[in-house]
Amino acid sequence: MKWVRRSALDRERDEEIAAHLAEAIDHYKAQGMSETDAIRTARLRFGNPRAYREKVDDMNRLPVVDVLARDLRYALRRLRQAPAFNATVIVTLALVIGATSAVFSLADAILLRPLPLPEPHRLAVVSFKRVSAAGEFVGPSVDGAMWAAVRDHATLIDSAVSIWGSPSVSLIVAGSPSFVRTQQIGDGYFRVLGVAPILGREFSSEEARPGGPPVAILSFEFWQRVFQGRADAIGQPVLLRGEPFTVVGVMPEGFEGLAESAVWTPLRGAGQGLNYMVVARAREGVTFEQANAELAALRETPFAMLRPNATTKRSLVLTPLQDALVATVRQPLVMLGWAVAAVLLIACVNIAALLMARSVSRSKEVATRMALGGSRIAVVRQLMIESLVVALIGGAAGVLVAFAGLEALKAIGETTFSQWARVTLDARTIAVSLGLSGLTSVLFGLLPAWQTSRIDVQAALAGGGSRSIAGGSSHVLRRLLVGAEVALGVVMLVGGGLLLRQFMFLQSLDPGFTPDRLYSISTSLQDARYRDPAVINQLFSSSIERLHHTPGIEAAAVSQGLPYQRLLNVVFRVEGRPDDDAQPPIANVAYITPGFFQTFGIAFKEGRAIDDRDRVNMPSVAVVNETFRQIYFKGEAAIGRRIRYANLTMEVVGVSRDVQQFAGGFTLPQMRRGPIVTSPTVYLPAAQLDRGLLTAFSPVWTVRARSAADAAAALTAAITAADPLLPLGPLRAMEQVIGESMAQPRLLMLLVGTLAVAALLLSAIGLHGLITHIVSERTREFGIRLALGAPTGKIVRAVVQSGVALAAIGALVGVGLSFPASSLVAASVPNLSTRDLPTYLSVAVLLVIVALVSSLFPTLRIARLDPVKILRE
Amino acid sequence: MRRRPNTRDGDLLGGTLDMLILQTLKTGPAHGFAIAQSVAHRSDEVLLVEEGSLYPALHRLEDRGWISARWGVSENNRRAKFYTITGRGRKQLAAEATRWIQLATAVARVMEPGS
Repeated sequence: MKWVRRSALDRERDEEIAAHLAEAIDHYKAQGMSETDAIRTARLRFGNPRAYREKVDDMNRLPVVDVLARDLRYALRRLRQAPAFNATVIVTLALVIGATSAVFSLADAILLRPLPLPEPHRLAVVSFKRVSAAGEFVGPSVDGAMWAAVRDHATLIDSAVSIWGSPSVSLIVAGSPSFVRTQQIGDGYFRVLGVAPILGREFSSEEARPGGPPVAILSFEFWQRVFQGRADAIGQPVLLRGEPFTVVGVMPEGFEGLAESAVWTPLRGAGQGLNYMVVARAREGVTFEQANAELAALRETPFAMLRPNATTKRSLVLTPLQDALVATVRQPLVMLGWAVAAVLLIACVNIAALLMARSVSRSKEVATRMALGGSRIAVVRQLMIESLVVALIGGAAGVLVAFAGLEALKAIGETTFSQWARVTLDARTIAVSLGLSGLTSVLFGLLPAWQTSRIDVQAALAGGGSRSIAGGSSHVLRRLLVGAEVALGVVMLVGGGLLLRQFMFLQSLDPGFTPDRLYSISTSLQDARYRDPAVINQLFSSSIERLHHTPGIEAAAVSQGLPYQRLLNVVFRVEGRPDDDAQPPIANVAYITPGFFQTFGIAFKEGRAIDDRDRVNMPSVAVVNETFRQIYFKGEAAIGRRIRYANLTMEVVGVSRDVQQFAGGFTLPQMRRGPIVTSPTVYLPAAQLDRGLLTAFSPVWTVRARSAADAAAALTAAITAADPLLPLGPLRAMEQVIGESMAQPRLLMLLVGTLAVAALLLSAIGLHGLITHIVSERTREFGIRLALGAPTGKIVRAVVQSGVALAAIGALVGVGLSFPASSLVAASVPNLSTRDLPTYLSVAVLLVIVALVSSLFPTLRIARLDPVKILRE
Repeated sequence: MRRRPNTRDGDLLGGTLDMLILQTLKTGPAHGFAIAQSVAHRSDEVLLVEEGSLYPALHRLEDRGWISARWGVSENNRRAKFYTITGRGRKQLAAEATRWIQLATAVARVMEPGS
């Protein structure tokens, strides 16, 4: 490539010309000329060396590259000429591109990237679909009968069952207890996923049935840790929940199944309740439609365990596996994606407006270039290259911001969204960042560049743009841009405002108990030694007894779950209330030990709390909360009423005040919607329960103590004294539990709020820039008007009014756009009203203030104008 | 944007300078000044070219592979670039010469007095 070796060629050519001249001079001297004459003749006959050099130059160059290189040099020079302006643009771009890339990398890794399993597009989850007057509901959880129907009759899919979730259970290695996550799976589970064990085998159908032998499959990492990767681990026992399980297989490195497990055990039969997940792989060449048609043909067979229901249409359908796994995180991510995209757009609009303002002030330069013969394309190209350079610098800085941004997002988000933890920035994301910056440069560069190139050369050179009165057409476009910016800003603010309102609402809720100085520790009873309800109750009573005698501990109790947490829910029968299929009496249920209500400070509306009288051989009792009484007893007196669950009939002895719980499992028309609700709840004495309810969720010990240290010491001592082998979770203050229950709304509020503030700032900058420009352009006009006696206030008011009016129009459009956009927010946060009047009002007031301030500042210059000076210029 | 100069922009009648250079080089390698001298001499000083215009032409011919260049030492013991005609150059010269003769004959016939 010749242009690369340009300087070498230059030298060679100069040398050749010099040699030519020297030869010529020698030649003429030899003919008898004097030295001076010889030189003159040689030069004369050679002609102008420069002209020929340029001709050769032109032949040698690669025109496009050379021209671009020249434009680039020029662009860099211009960058240095306006450092503050360009720094603003670059920093703005870096921030928005960084934020966009960080959010994109999350969305890409979680929503777009296929699962790391062979042929993931053939994988699905069998979902239970109900269609009734109340609407359509599709959930990926099924019961035993549904699984059996799929297993026995669906021939177009290869399917396997597992239990939903992977609880942490106690595992004992060499006498020391620890928590590991385990999942129960049926036979063929790994075959369906398409991942084979690297050692041993997966479960057989003999192992995965009621009464099957206790066997286990280990994850690669767990095998490395416990067996140091020894092949003879196969056949060895591991003590899980106090029971020895024989290792039969080891999975490949990095494989955690669908539920991040370390140990898998056989699911010994699937029973009642929607607790199971059926994963299916469409057989070769079979589409989901064909498989769904086969499932639809099963009719009522899968629903044998459910009560017949004429008004609800039930069916089984396939949900693509990835969709099922990301169902809960999709909406928030989609919302965040739109939010950063909106900010990116605002930033581009802003930069375009800024460039346009500058391009107007550059009109003289451009006019000169065009008058000297620069073509329109050359001018546009030059301006485009300037914005491309700015965009690329911004994009490169944006990649760095994206790294930092992603780490920050993970740091604040991974406790809420565990999937975020594994996401890293990769080449794909970086490519997107750079692509985005290229695209934005086109977006924000083309418009002003085109506009500049359309200037009237003569007018620009003769009049000088800033001297004539109001430059007309360019402002229409700029006003449009700034108006659009304000509109998008309003959408963001309304979104952020709604999230803020919701979070404030959640925080203002009456907990129904006294959270301060409450501390809890949880443990798992998934242990073979805790099969007998009497043993469990012995553990509770002896540890509570010990806590009662510990100084610094005011009260202590054991309960299944805590306020602000999700509780187990079951369907009760209420005596004297007709069975209602459309609305079976479903309620939260929790077992408690005596002293629970006193420990938490929960007041009573009626009757008494559960106390030491309610033992195993005494009449079964229950305490219900206000909401339960309201919904199922129609608000009438509840004492003495009876409710039934399974084979238990309980008499209601008290009605307690409502306590906030994390919503889950069910909603009733009478209930408020949202992440935190007061749902109908039944409290049962632990002493009167059988094993089923007692071991369903982990028990939590709670004390009201002088300090966290007191609580930690006392709880550890009391539980360890009762059973030294129980694995204890960390001590948690009640405030922490409350905080965690609101983590997702808070996270979304923070992220969207930050983006909304950024959007507002950008809009303010845009508006400020526009008004500044208008004022500087019309300085001469204002000077004349002032000289003619116009009051300053009137001029200032007129300019400010135009700014505020623009903002108001933008805001109106924004409010219109906010309705669809806020339904996106509402989709990701339950219990959010999209028509929240205070939110809209405060956004409107905020905008008017911002518009006033950003229009007023530049306008104040008018007041300081000296008419005489201006008129003289 | 400037364009690559037109291929037929010799200072003489289209392509003539090229032809003259190639013709000169047919007798052996020469440097720029020698070529200029030779052209002037052989045309009895009628075709007096501005010597500088030789170089863009030489460059163009080299670019097309009709001549090649290498550095050598002139008769006055000076470092100079020597040009040699290539095989392709000879073919081109033959074609140009034929064309030229046809053209010249045609022009001569038109200009013939009395016909």
